Formats: sequence, C-alpha cells, structure tokens
Amino acid sequence: MTDALVLQGVTKRFGSFTAVDDLSLRVPAGCIYGFLGQNGAGKTTTIRMVMSIFHQDSGTISVLGHADASEVKDRLGYLPEEKGLYKKMKTAEIVAYFGKLKGMDTRTANIKAKELLTRFGLADWMDKKCEAMSKGMGQKVQILGTIIHEPDLVILDEPFSGLDPVNRDVMRDTILQMKREGRTVIFSTHVMEQAEQLCDSVMMIHKGQLAFAGKLTEIKTGRDFGIQIDYDGDGRVLEQTPGLQRVNDQGKKAEIYLKRDQDPQTALRWLMDHLTIRRFDYREPSLHEIFVRTVEQRDTALAAAEENA
Amino acid sequence: MASKIGLVAQREFNENVRTKTFWIGILAVPVLIVLGIGASWLLQQFKETKTYTVVDFSEPAIGRRIEQTARQGDLRAFHAAMEQAGKVMGEIPERGELPDNQTTEELYTAFLDMPASELEALMEQGSGFEAAKKFRFVRLSELELDHLPPEEQAKALTQLVDNDELFAYFTIGHDPKNSDEGFEYVSNNLTDDDLRKWYGGAATRVIQSIRIADTRIPRGVAEHISKEIRFSKKKAEAGTGETADVTVGDTANKWAPVAFVYFLWIAVFSIAQMLLTNTVEEKSMRIMEVLLSSVSPRELMAGKIWGIAATGLTMVGSWVLFALIGIWVAPMILGEFDVPWMQIIGDPRYLISFVAYFLLGYLLYAAVLVAIGSVCNTLKEAQNLMQPVIIILVVPLIAMVIIVQEPNGIVAKVMSYIPLYTPFVMMNRAGGPPETYEYVITGILMLLSVWIAFRAAGKVFRIGVLMTGKPPKLREILGWLRSK
Repeated sequence: MTDALVLQGVTKRFGSFTAVDDLSLRVPAGCIYGFLGQNGAGKTTTIRMVMSIFHQDSGTISVLGHADASEVKDRLGYLPEEKGLYKKMKTAEIVAYFGKLKGMDTRTANIKAKELLTRFGLADWMDKKCEAMSKGMGQKVQILGTIIHEPDLVILDEPFSGLDPVNRDVMRDTILQMKREGRTVIFSTHVMEQAEQLCDSVMMIHKGQLAFAGKLTEIKTGRDFGIQIDYDGDGRVLEQTPGLQRVNDQGKKAEIYLKRDQDPQTALRWLMDHLTIRRFDYREPSLHEIFVRTVEQRDTALAAAEENA
Repeated sequence: MASKIGLVAQREFNENVRTKTFWIGILAVPVLIVLGIGASWLLQQFKETKTYTVVDFSEPAIGRRIEQTARQGDLRAFHAAMEQAGKVMGEIPERGELPDNQTTEELYTAFLDMPASELEALMEQGSGFEAAKKFRFVRLSELELDHLPPEEQAKALTQLVDNDELFAYFTIGHDPKNSDEGFEYVSNNLTDDDLRKWYGGAATRVIQSIRIADTRIPRGVAEHISKEIRFSKKKAEAGTGETADVTVGDTANKWAPVAFVYFLWIAVFSIAQMLLTNTVEEKSMRIMEVLLSSVSPRELMAGKIWGIAATGLTMVGSWVLFALIGIWVAPMILGEFDVPWMQIIGDPRYLISFVAYFLLGYLLYAAVLVAIGSVCNTLKEAQNLMQPVIIILVVPLIAMVIIVQEPNGIVAKVMSYIPLYTPFVMMNRAGGPPETYEYVITGILMLLSVWIAFRAAGKVFRIGVLMTGKPPKLREILGWLRSK
C-alpha cells in the first residue's frame, strides 16, 4: 500500500519555542488515521505544515507522493479546528465557493453543492444565509465545503468538538463513508473513545515529539492488561483493591491495573464483595489509558532530565 | 493562481455590492450634496433682515448722508420702481454716486416713509434692493427714543441690543471732520461682520468728502487721489502672447481640483477602511484557515485588495455618473450657469487623474490597512493601529488650499514626490497643471511604492492572519519583514 502522507524529521520552531521536533510519520493511503495529543502538543502545527499553510524549518513532507504539498493542494480537503462561514453568504453559494477555490468549474461546483446539501438533509437551507443556521448545521456545511471537490486526503482538525450526539454520528458516518470511497482521512481529537472506534492507526504527539505511532492493535500489544468494570457503589473502595497498581475511575466505569504477578481473579472477587458489578472484562488497556500513561511517563522523564541538567 | 485571486476578488465584490447599505452609502453622497446646497440656499433666503439704528453725535449731523450713501443701490432701485409706477421722483445721474442734493433727499425720505408691506412687495418684484434685503434702518422715533439726549439714547439702545430687540447700533463721533473718535458699533453678534463693513464703507466715503471739502484741494483732484486702484484680472493665453479676461469658468477650473481631492480622499479612505474592517471580520469569523488551505496568503490578500478595488471603482463610477447627470439636469431646473461644469468635469486632466489616482492611492493605503487588519483580532485594536495612518492622511486635506493657490510651488512639488501623498497632491495640482515629466516620475514612484507595499504587506499578512491573541509589537513585525 502506498502512503498518503510521509513526514521525515520535520521540525518547526516559533522563535525559541519548538512546536514540532523531529517528527517522522507514515500515513497509509485509504485508512482513517488519528492524531492524538494534548492541547498545544503540536497537532495543529503538524497539520498546517501538511497543508502548506506553514513551512517546516527542516525535514521533508510528502503529500500524495508529491514533495511539495502546495502542488496537490486541490486534492486535499481541510477542516480546521477554528472554522467559520461567511455569515452573509447563502449555504449553497459558500459550499460551491469552497469547491471553486479547489479548482472546480462553476457549473459543476454549483450542482455538486446542491446535491451534497440535499444528501445531508439541508435541502431547505440552500438559499438561506449562513447566519440563520444553528451551530450543528453550520458544521455540516463546513464539512461539505471540505469534501465537495472529492479530495484524496481529508484532514479534519477536532471535527467532533462542539457537536451534539446526533451530529457526532453524522460526522462519524461521513468519515466512514469517505474511507469506503477510498479516501484517506486524518483527524485530530482529544476524545480517545472516538479515535478508538474509528481509527485504523493513530499517532500521539507530546510536547512536539512523537510518543508513538502505528496500528491500534500494534500499539496495544505488549501493554499491561487491566480489569475493566461497570459498577454501582462507592468508587472510593477501588483504591483498596488487593494488588492495585493504579486505577482509572470514571464514576460508573473503571479500569484497574494490578502490580506484576498479581492474580486478577482475586482482585475481581474482592471487587464483587464491595461493589455491585454489572459487567467486567480483562483485556488490553484502552487508548484513553495509554494516552494518560504516556503523558505521565513522558512528563516524569522530562522533569528528571531537567533536574539532571 | 490568477483564477484563485479572481475568485476571492469576485466574492469580496459580490458581498459588498449586494448589500443595501453599500448603495445607500453611494446614493447618500449626491443626496447630501443636493440637500446641502438646498439648505444653504434656503438659509440665504430666510436670512433675517438685520435691524440697526444710528446715534448721531456729529455736528453738523452726517448720519443721514451716510445712510443715503450706503443705500445708493436701494435708492436707484426704488427710483426705477417709482418711475415704473408712474411717479416722478426727479432726475438722478445714470452712474456714479448719488449727489448730495434735494432729489436724493426726497428720494430717501420717500423710501424711508414707505410702509414696510409696500416696500417688501417692491423688493420681491424688482431687483437691486441688495442692502434693503439684508439691513433695515430703524428710526429712533420708531423706538420712541428721539426725544432723549444722545447719551441716554445710547444707553437705551444698548439695552435693546442686549435683549436681542435690535441687531446693532452705530454711534457717529462728535467731530468727524477732525477726529476719528467716537465711532462705535455695538452688537452681540461677534461673527457676522457684514453690516459693520457695509456701513463703515459708506461712512468713510462721506467723511472723506467732508474732509476734502475742508482743504483747499479741488474736489475732483482729491477724489482722484483717494480713488482705489483695482487690478483687473487677466490671464495669459497659451502660445499667443495675448492676454484674456478671466471668466467665472476659469476660476472654477482652478478651484475644481479641491472638490476632486476631497472626493478622492473620501473614496480612498472609505474603501481602504472597508478592506480593513473586512479583514478583521474575516479573521474574527475564523474563516482564514479554511481559505488558506485552498489559496496562498498572497493570493488571498491580492484577491481581497482587488475585490475591494472593484467595489471602490463602482462607488467612484457611480459618483461620476451622478455628477454628469447633475450637470445635465441642473440647468434645466435652475437655468444656465456661467460655469462650464461639463467641460471641467469631463476634462481628462481631472477625470482620468481622478480614477487613476483613486486606484493608485487605494492600492497603496490598501496594502498598509490589510497588513494592519491581518494582525488585529478586533476592530478596536485595528482602530488604535489606524490612528497614525489617519494623521498621515489628514495632511493633504490641510494642504489642499495652499496647493491649489500655488499648484507649482515648492510645497506642492515636494509633497508630490512623497508616495503617500502623491495621489492627493497631484490631483490637487491639476489646475496648474504640473509638467508632464512630473506626472511620469511621480507615477513611476507611485507604482514602485505600491509594489514594495504589497510585498511588505504580503509578509505581514502571511503570518499575521493566523495569529490570535495580542497584536504583535512593531519590532516583531519588522522582524517578519526581514524574513524571506
């Protein structure tokens, strides 16, 4: 399989601050790829470099097989995190406008815009101005503007933020549909559950550096298994689980990791004595857990390095 | 690349031109001009007649003679009106001052005694009652002050002026033949000086003739000596070595640039401001990044600037159209003018300069404002950064009159070569007109500055447009300019 995107040793600095540090990455064509990381980790900067909005200080970026991303700009679709619409433009006009900016001719763009709006349930809004729409509808229109020109690579920066459950599902279905059509989709997110559900592969960036990258299954392999439970009762007792190393308590759900050589059967029996367990599982850690652990470990390592220095 | 600039420009143009406010704004200009002219005409029509009186301390009294002298025009008009009505008022000379004789005295008495309503009717029919329309003399007897000694009269009149019952009163000094003392003008209106000048002129002429009569110099000689010299205005006819009379049109032609500069200024300023607002709004609506994924910052900036330029040309074009319609329609309503407006506005020196300098001036200021807009997140921030630009822009407005008076003077010449002022100053000098080489050199300078400003603005725009938070410091912006 060819790669839709290849980054090699990419570094970007803003003054003395290194936003992205020696990042190397491969995104295979036709997959859904997640960019994970905390706020300010360097996700958006990386995406902007891919879109040739920023230029890297060093390293190479190859997009859809071209060394210069600006050559294939018209084959890329981009939905930034900070997204807005011209309030005074009509819905169909603005979707067509984005298409035309990507090189579509006026006629095709107009037809396609109307077709997409109809398909996404916005047929009644075609001739209305953007300012009249709700936030959810606005987001849909933005997505349509991103995909109208049928891009080969779609990059969505935090596409789920600010969406209600119904619109989240619409966004999810759109992403899955794009994959089915053979496009590559990269999206960044804070919500690990979303990444876990949708992505074939993910990468995590922490303070500008790559923490891990690869297929989800590969990333999870070799990591500590944990007990995952749905429960009712006072979650404070979780801390007293025999052989406990750490716990990730979410109120009604919890992930419990035991020290090495501890028997999960004993722990589970103890838990059933102290809480009402509605479901349990013993499996590889969730992406959420991996994310949080990675941040902890890397921060500890960085703090130690600073102390030594 | 060009097509993307075109797309951005087209969108900008459509968005602005499709709004009602844009067209209301354009229409407002001619409407306001017509209203302004109408209002000043109305004000002139309804300007109240100013009432005044005179306390005459002089011996022998000269007040009456001054009145007669001041009202020469009124009296001639009155004479004509009376003759027309078939009343014989005696012979008066065709031209020159009315003599100090019985006929004048009788004419004046009849004029004074005419009831106000009849006089008004006369003024409406006949022409020439210029002074009577503006100033009305109130006899002391009308104010029931004629029985008082002059000192008491002055006191009572001051009271009337204070109560706004009388616009002003004059006092004539005790001994006008020998002394300039005791001439006073008492009024609470300190700005309108017309009455004082008009009456003062007549008083000067009367007192001069009294003083001349007192010397042994023959009257004719004295008058000849004291006569004011007036230079008649002529201009050199191009190429012929001849001179010609200066017409109203010539004067209008010399002053026309002022109007053009004024409109140029409004056009450049309002359109460049539109670009600034638009850029800041686009930034605050968070639409920049989506656009930048499809077009380069340079294309986006160029598209915006050209789109708004087209908007501006639409505005300027509409104004020109209104002006041409106005010139065509106005004589039908108001009668023919002495001023060849069509010729002045249609003069390529004005019209072509106007459009060309609008475009060049706009482009230069657009580059500055788009850069400012790109680093600001709110309009308030942008307005703060705009202040120095406004100060720079006010200079050509202040210099406007000086330059039109001396279109080829040193101030005008030097300012022509400062690119930020070139469009305004060269437009301002068009009545001169400047030498062809000046048009060429300033034009080249201007194009060069636009090119440099675009490059610099491009660098600032590229970085500024994606910045959020505090606007950058000047030092940072200078750093961006140095970057590749």
